[in-house]
Amino acid sequence: MKLKLPDTVSSAQDLATLAREIGDYKRWFEHEAIKKRVNAKHKSEEPVLSTSVSDILHSLGAKEGIDQKSLDELTEMLAEYAKNAPTMTVTLAAPPTGSTKKTLISWSRENIAPNILVNFKFNSTLLGGMVINLGSRTFDWSFRRQILASSGNFPEVLKRV
Amino acid sequence: MSDSLLLQIFLLFNVFIIGALTSIAVRHAYAHFKPAEPEAPKHPKEPASQQGGHIPPALREKLLQASQAHFQSVLNKSADELQQDLKTTATQLNNHMAKLGSDIVAEEMKRYHASLEALRKQTETTISGAQSEIANHQLDIKNKLAEHQAQLEAKLAADIAAEKEQLVQKIDSKLSDAVASFLTETLQHNVDLGAQEKYLISMLEEHKAELIKEVRDEA
Repeated sequence: MKLKLPDTVSSAQDLATLAREIGDYKRWFEHEAIKKRVNAKHKSEEPVLSTSVSDILHSLGAKEGIDQKSLDELTEMLAEYAKNAPTMTVTLAAPPTGSTKKTLISWSRENIAPNILVNFKFNSTLLGGMVINLGSRTFDWSFRRQILASSGNFPEVLKRV
Repeated sequence: MSDSLLLQIFLLFNVFIIGALTSIAVRHAYAHFKPAEPEAPKHPKEPASQQGGHIPPALREKLLQASQAHFQSVLNKSADELQQDLKTTATQLNNHMAKLGSDIVAEEMKRYHASLEALRKQTETTISGAQSEIANHQLDIKNKLAEHQAQLEAKLAADIAAEKEQLVQKIDSKLSDAVASFLTETLQHNVDLGAQEKYLISMLEEHKAELIKEVRDEA
């Protein structure tokens, strides 16, 4: 089974949260399975899951249902995902809205790598555009860099005014 | 040198002649003013009348006086001739010496004038040479000075142009920095990411290959 994370799970922190939630669910599932085997009457409440976890669990149990084995596999897949997924940090000029995040994440997973994780930061001094840190490289496409790079052309522009 | 030697020889010869003539004159004068006593005959006791000739004393006296007078006249004549010769010799000597002196003086003056003229010409040549050298040197110095001045002016103009260019570049740089700082300070507030979304996606599309390559290299 290939894990496809929803766009709401974008960053490494989101992935860690997802893994923790799934871990909690898995523990609850194990306890419930044991109780069921021993015919225990007391049932603990199912943990509240986020939409992302719900979607994953739903897709996990769509064909054969959720069992311990599939949960173990999911946990392993998440660990593998966290270990191998490339991470990209996008710094914007302002805190990104959910829509902007979703757009950028979906584009990244469609065009760069399907398992890429995207972290978001903001720095108002960029003025606009973005700075991307991917691996050991940094791609600066901010307005600030463009203004500073073009500062040498300013006298020429001033002459034409 | 040869002239002076000849002159000395001539002067010595003249001195010799004058000495000889002077001694002769002195002897004659002495003999004239202090005649010598006649010599005593060999046989004094023998009377004179008996000595060869039998000349009477009066005649003898007369002959004696005549011979004395003749001798005196001869002496006087000799003395006059000697005096005349001395005078002539002295005059000739004086003339000759004057001529020699004037010749020597003329010769020396001529030599002096010649050497003076040679010195004058040499000095003239040296001075004219020095003057022409000085003129050439002055001309050379003027040319070098003009050349050096032109070089300095060119260097000054180049330095001024370089300084001006440097200042203009500094001003442009400061102005650019000022404008960039102003824009940075002004535009960093109220940034609207929604309006930039298309721009962000277009930038990602433009550099998609680089991003994919980086992910593959990291993997």
